[in-house]
Amino acid sequence: MTRAGLGAVVRKELRQIGRDRRLLPMLIFAPLVQLMVFGHAVSFDIDNVDVAVCDLDDSAASRTLARRLVADGTFQPVGPLPDCTRPEQALLDGRADVAVLFPAGLERDLAAGRPVEVQVLVDGTNPTIGRFASVAAQAFLDARAAELQRERLAGLRSAQGFERPVPTLTVQSRLFYNPRMQSAIFMVPGVAAMLLLLITTVGTAMGIARERELGTLEQVMVTPLRPAELILGKVAPFVLVGLLDVVVALVVSSWMFDVPIRGSLLVVFAGTLLYLLSTVGLGLFISTVSSSQQQAFMVGFFVMMPAILLSGFMTPVENMPDWLQPIAWVNPVRYYVEVLRGALLKAAGFRDLGLQFGALAAFGTTILAASIVRFRKRLA
Amino acid sequence: MSAPGRLRRFAIRTGAVAAKEATHAVRDPRTLYLALGMPVVLLVIFGFGISFDVEDVPIAVVDQDRTPDSRALERSLTTGHEFVVAARPDDPAEVDRLFRERTVSAALVVPRGFAREWAAGRRAPVQLLVDGSDGVGAQSVLGNASAALRAEGRRRLAAETGGAAAPLAAEVRLLFNPALRSAVFFVPGLIAYILYIVGVLLTALTIAREQERGNLEQLFATPVGRLEVMLGKLLPYLALGLLQALLVLAFGMAVFEMPLRGSLGVLGLGTLLFLAGALAQGLFISSVAGSQQVATQAGALSSLLPGVLLSGFVFPVENMPLLLRALASVFPARYYVDLLRGVMLRGNGFDALWGDFLGLGVFCLAAVALATLGFRRRLA
Amino acid sequence: MNPVVAADGLAHAYAAARALDGLSFAVPAGELYGLVGADGAGKTTALRILAGLIVPQRGTARVAGLDPADAGSGVRESLGYMPQRYSLYGDLSVAENLRFFARLFCLSRAVYAERSARLLAITRLERFAERPAQQLSGGMYKKLALACALLHRPRVLLLDEPTNGVDPVSRLDLWQLLYEFVAEGMAVVVSTPYMDEAERCHRVGLVHHGRLLLEGEPQTLVAAFPESVLRVVGAAERAEAVLERAGADVVAVAPLGGALRVVVRRDAVAALAAALAAEGAGVETLRPSFEDLFLVRAAAGASPGEAAA
Repeated sequence: MTRAGLGAVVRKELRQIGRDRRLLPMLIFAPLVQLMVFGHAVSFDIDNVDVAVCDLDDSAASRTLARRLVADGTFQPVGPLPDCTRPEQALLDGRADVAVLFPAGLERDLAAGRPVEVQVLVDGTNPTIGRFASVAAQAFLDARAAELQRERLAGLRSAQGFERPVPTLTVQSRLFYNPRMQSAIFMVPGVAAMLLLLITTVGTAMGIARERELGTLEQVMVTPLRPAELILGKVAPFVLVGLLDVVVALVVSSWMFDVPIRGSLLVVFAGTLLYLLSTVGLGLFISTVSSSQQQAFMVGFFVMMPAILLSGFMTPVENMPDWLQPIAWVNPVRYYVEVLRGALLKAAGFRDLGLQFGALAAFGTTILAASIVRFRKRLA
Repeated sequence: MSAPGRLRRFAIRTGAVAAKEATHAVRDPRTLYLALGMPVVLLVIFGFGISFDVEDVPIAVVDQDRTPDSRALERSLTTGHEFVVAARPDDPAEVDRLFRERTVSAALVVPRGFAREWAAGRRAPVQLLVDGSDGVGAQSVLGNASAALRAEGRRRLAAETGGAAAPLAAEVRLLFNPALRSAVFFVPGLIAYILYIVGVLLTALTIAREQERGNLEQLFATPVGRLEVMLGKLLPYLALGLLQALLVLAFGMAVFEMPLRGSLGVLGLGTLLFLAGALAQGLFISSVAGSQQVATQAGALSSLLPGVLLSGFVFPVENMPLLLRALASVFPARYYVDLLRGVMLRGNGFDALWGDFLGLGVFCLAAVALATLGFRRRLA
Repeated sequence: MNPVVAADGLAHAYAAARALDGLSFAVPAGELYGLVGADGAGKTTALRILAGLIVPQRGTARVAGLDPADAGSGVRESLGYMPQRYSLYGDLSVAENLRFFARLFCLSRAVYAERSARLLAITRLERFAERPAQQLSGGMYKKLALACALLHRPRVLLLDEPTNGVDPVSRLDLWQLLYEFVAEGMAVVVSTPYMDEAERCHRVGLVHHGRLLLEGEPQTLVAAFPESVLRVVGAAERAEAVLERAGADVVAVAPLGGALRVVVRRDAVAALAAALAAEGAGVETLRPSFEDLFLVRAAAGASPGEAAA
């Protein structure tokens, strides 16, 4: 009876999903669309910072500096400043991100060995771009300064008859796992986690709220079906769709965006199953605290949005203030993102990810148990 | 009894639907509290939680040189608050394991003979290894660490020349957000994002619910028109939305010390247009979805993605490929984010923001029109 | 006869099944017309077409001379519709539901106050004016839905299974109300699966597989019924064997409580009754009812062109 009852519920749910001509495409195409958009839209490369130059010196030296400033493509020239007395105007109306002012007498002072100060105004509205632009401008002028210094030092030494050349500190930086900083490579784990959460948590919560709203839950409960069977039957199709979405995401991302699969797929799917335990449990729990689909939807979003945005999939979890850290500690999305990143990019195994697996298992069983207890109580 | 005129009948019927919709909202206080409380709570969580400012990043130092020079290099990284040494492996091969276990995010490798090379006036290389699996974090870590190392190189060179001032220096001034606080940049984006999602959610289920519950059958047999139903449903939620916006903006200004440098009128009009557009988008989804479950998925997909990715809230729209830029200009979030930053941070007025107003207005009208046309006054 | 409601050759099919297959009927002012048929016969589709909620694939519908699907023509002002499903707003009270529909029809405050008071009085819902609609009993809910459909004094009232889920006392109330409206000149179309209710209508149309099998005044139709009806009690298996042997003489058999209701050809009734009695079954002659009529017609199959005027 038990297995037959469970099978009947699963079949009914699958039929309902299949029959709704609009729901199924939603569940299959949503991941594709999300992946495309995330893979292409998210770019951390800040490669064109618009710069407006004001050259008050207008000498060979200042023109060379201005030319070399935009030579490597980091800075994009947008023409000279219209009014050098009010350089912030170009930033105010958004024509440029950076304004650079070469002072009058630049060539003369450089030749005479007097220090020259170049003013750089940066729009700080976007701190990422602001920081990047100010660092880049600083680095550019530093490099020119070092060049001049070295020339001078070499001149000084040869004049004094020294043999010793001028040393250089070289920094070779290497990015592990994603050397070209392709956004898709670190976005895919986040997108997969988000999709699974959206589909399974909202699907479960809404599915049960819908039965309650339409009164069919009462009707099913008078049959010999046990609550656990009903629950399992309702969530099983969503788990299947979720797994399918993960496969789609992996295939598409490795084929379209060259996302590597360096670790074992076993780790990936074990992590996915544990994660699904949590997301389904969460959906179930939400359904026990809501009385209509709208409420389930709202509560679901209220829980999911912080879970997604604070999962470390866009900004590092470590950056969060201390009082928010507890949220990160109980956030299953965070652990799943870490599992996926670890397994796909770093070839991490079960031993490396012990903490994450433990946390997912603990969260999943707790929330699932809590919601089955609450579910029973509400029916009683 | 004289029959009321056409326009008056329109107003009476729209008012009737609006009053009914408002009663639904008031009768369901849980949804109402959620709608008002959620944006504020989300704003606070996200405002503090999403931050690109990296501090106390754990790093590994592999010092194979063990000289005062190599220790000085290490100090140059740890004197600020940016890096903390969390491991000192002897072998650079250990770093990969540390990355996999997430013990450290970066590593400095000073090879044997560093001090000797420097003293000999040759190239003295050091290595900077960064865990690239975590996008934003990796970028900041890389930028900060290489800047610190470059500064150290400059300092050493200056010491060689007897401490003379640098011949060329940058004087960088950051405008609008001098401390480069993430919050100042994010909060307008967050406000737009939160209002957008909650706005779409508020209306996405309203028509689908009436369809599921059979309410439309009796409604359709009355003379009420499609536009009357749409506007009637829009108005009460617009009032609710404005209240939300007021709360969120007030919180943003109080908690995150957001300035309001522009005019309140510009802000108010922009907010009104944006909210009406978001609500109408929800209505459109609701009218074509057919069931609350489909409406949920479509509502979530169509507000979450454009809200996070295509709004310029985190990732600048200008850097995206053409297709996505075009897609981004369809959704209102991008215009509203731009408008909020303009009016709050830069103090822009209509003259600078007319493009955003145009975008918001066009979207709003188009969404209302589509919702009305998509709403079939028939049973299937 | 100048019909206020006219259905002419309505045909409509859904993806899964054919619902209407050339249904025609007409109702003049002041008549209570019953669309009678089993579940799935097409009654709801017919009423929804008349209410303008579905556009028929073939045929035309006219209400007060207008196309009900043409919202701009003002047809909805002359139409009252009460769906079979629960369609009012459950979280709104009785009074709020009434006020909402009154405003959709743009009734003035004074007119609304007067009519709603009267409707609440005759439906005996006054005491429950502040109760949310979802907390009403089945009968009270239907009366509220009826009141909402009547606020604007429609010339045509369409009711889809109004007595479904209603207790017998409230059922009587409902019919009583309908008679009052009809007396005032309203045209009322009622659908029902209950054959006993058919006899309460002025005229009935028997719907089967999406077309009209039979139409006329219920009493006349029953009076013209050519067969006899027997009630057979006891000796179940042997009685059934007798009926089996009788072949074409037995037109229809239906269970009736613990007994059988048997429609028999009039010329064969005496012989059959004797045979049944011989097997030990109790036999009793019944007055033919509308249900017998339906049983016979439905059993004979949906042969077209049988609709009698």
